[in-house]
Amino acid sequence: MPSQPVALKTATLTTSTFPTTMVATALPLTSQPLPFPTLYGRAGFSGFPSPAQDYEPRTLDLNERLIKHPNHTFYLTAAGDSMEGWGIFEGDLLVVDRSIPPRLGHILVAMFEEEVLIKRYALYQGTPHLCSAHPHYPPLPLEETNCQLWGVVRAVVHEYLP
Amino acid sequence: MIGLVDANNFYVSCERVFNPALEGKPVGVMSNNDGCVIARSAEMKALEIPMGTPSFQLEGLRRRGEIHLLSSNYELYGDMSARLAQLLRDACPDVAPYSIDEMFIYLDGFSDAQCQALGEVVRRRVRRYLGLPVCVGLAPTHTLAKLANHVAKQQPHYQGVCLLTANSPTTMALLKQLSVNDVWGVGRRLAERLAVSGIRTAWQLRECDPKQLRKRFSVVLARTALELRGTSCLEMNALEAPRQRIMTSRSFGQATGVKAELHAALRRHAQRSAEKLRQQKSLTRAVLLFLNTNRHRKDQPQLSPSAMIPLASPSDDTRIILEAVREGLEQMYRPGFQFMKAGVMLLDLVDAQQYQLSLLQPSHKAHPHLMNTVDAINQRMGQGTIRFGMTEAEAPWQLRCAHRSNRYTTCWDELMEAGTHPGAIAAARVKREQQRLARAQRLAQPRA
Repeated sequence: MPSQPVALKTATLTTSTFPTTMVATALPLTSQPLPFPTLYGRAGFSGFPSPAQDYEPRTLDLNERLIKHPNHTFYLTAAGDSMEGWGIFEGDLLVVDRSIPPRLGHILVAMFEEEVLIKRYALYQGTPHLCSAHPHYPPLPLEETNCQLWGVVRAVVHEYLP
Repeated sequence: MIGLVDANNFYVSCERVFNPALEGKPVGVMSNNDGCVIARSAEMKALEIPMGTPSFQLEGLRRRGEIHLLSSNYELYGDMSARLAQLLRDACPDVAPYSIDEMFIYLDGFSDAQCQALGEVVRRRVRRYLGLPVCVGLAPTHTLAKLANHVAKQQPHYQGVCLLTANSPTTMALLKQLSVNDVWGVGRRLAERLAVSGIRTAWQLRECDPKQLRKRFSVVLARTALELRGTSCLEMNALEAPRQRIMTSRSFGQATGVKAELHAALRRHAQRSAEKLRQQKSLTRAVLLFLNTNRHRKDQPQLSPSAMIPLASPSDDTRIILEAVREGLEQMYRPGFQFMKAGVMLLDLVDAQQYQLSLLQPSHKAHPHLMNTVDAINQRMGQGTIRFGMTEAEAPWQLRCAHRSNRYTTCWDELMEAGTHPGAIAAARVKREQQRLARAQRLAQPRA
């Protein structure tokens, strides 16, 4: 496509000159406005317009996918191994939404006797319990204990590379 | 109807959201530089520790674990405040933040019952979604809303939401009990002058003739009296008007007399001030610098120099303000003194959109792209990402904040931890510490 290189050239040119002018010399106070790189490479003056022009994409945003209520969402780090069965490993990032009402089956962050815990909210022997995915840690009964909901885990981010 | 949403012990409440172990315990938050107590939990108030108590007097209680004292964590409080404002914007037609923990909401066209219901919804939501306890005061005017909020906080049977109409018997009874000193906008001095004229309670002020008040005191007081009657006449714009001066000053963590260090501190304050200046879209005409020695150290020589540098033409360019800082420091610096505090004040501000151009001087308007870019980067990546000139992280003038909690909402490395089972958080901490030691040992061993 003959039009693309033209647009690309201006873009690289501006990005490479922009920082050097800013750092090396103090700008004269009445200098001309700097040319800014345009967001999308539009077709130049010659050649065919890009056939994709009318389909300019909206880049996918992971925030949009994982976070439904940004104002009420907090990030936490997981510690411990007893939720590995549910896909939560030590050091994972938890996306916790405080505005979701908890339901059975949700993974919750809750305050249990002054500790912040991640557990699955489920029925055990017919009553609601906070369950882990590890046989060493028995379900904690919700009734008759001092347990307070902190938020509902919406997503877990597990990073394979540092 | 106007509502005032005010968070209870805001700083302490923010800390408790992320550290639930503090719930129910006496907690205090200290001022910048860990100087004195500026926020107290209800339990701390019950211990009769007054606001402003110097931290060193409480050191013993803290060591014995009887109270918890934390350094102020403004990044956390700022983020929670922004979340609070956003939550209110989602629920109400119009919101005006008044301070970090107080926001006015405007509910025009709602019936009293609807306002009451909305107040209850807002209070429940803030508690659930953000973990913050708030009280809501609802009334026809700003001044009465402030009063209603006070009542909602003091009297538990309102359950955190209090609606006052202008002429209800409750309002009348409250105003009769309330000292004029406690009315919003009436200071101690003014209260003394009013007492001479026989005006001691809020009710007496309300019953005064506004015209007389205007003649004998001020137009603001006349408006306050009208507001108490239920006639709204304080514009929120008046409260929001751009500030006439901008000041950034801090006490040092440790006194210093080294010129380069003082310069670095002043430079940082100047950059922060310039950023605030651009935020409110003003230009400054003069820069005032000052240094203070520690006046409590009677054994040391005392000096509080200051320097005022007028600018050739109004500007909001950090570089020009920094040039003035350099010039000012040259003027006021004297060796042989241990300075404890430095500040930069920008004075005689003018609106960036409309000011008289000088005939002979070229305009010193900042290069807009450069300054906007710097501000945008600093807002996104954190305060001080782009700085003019180097500042040392370990400099003695850096703030003392020995007991600051994590920046849970603004820093990836300081997130809150959740354990998968009781004891998991502590175990993970031990494991990390062991790994760190092992790594250090490996590095210390010479390579074979």
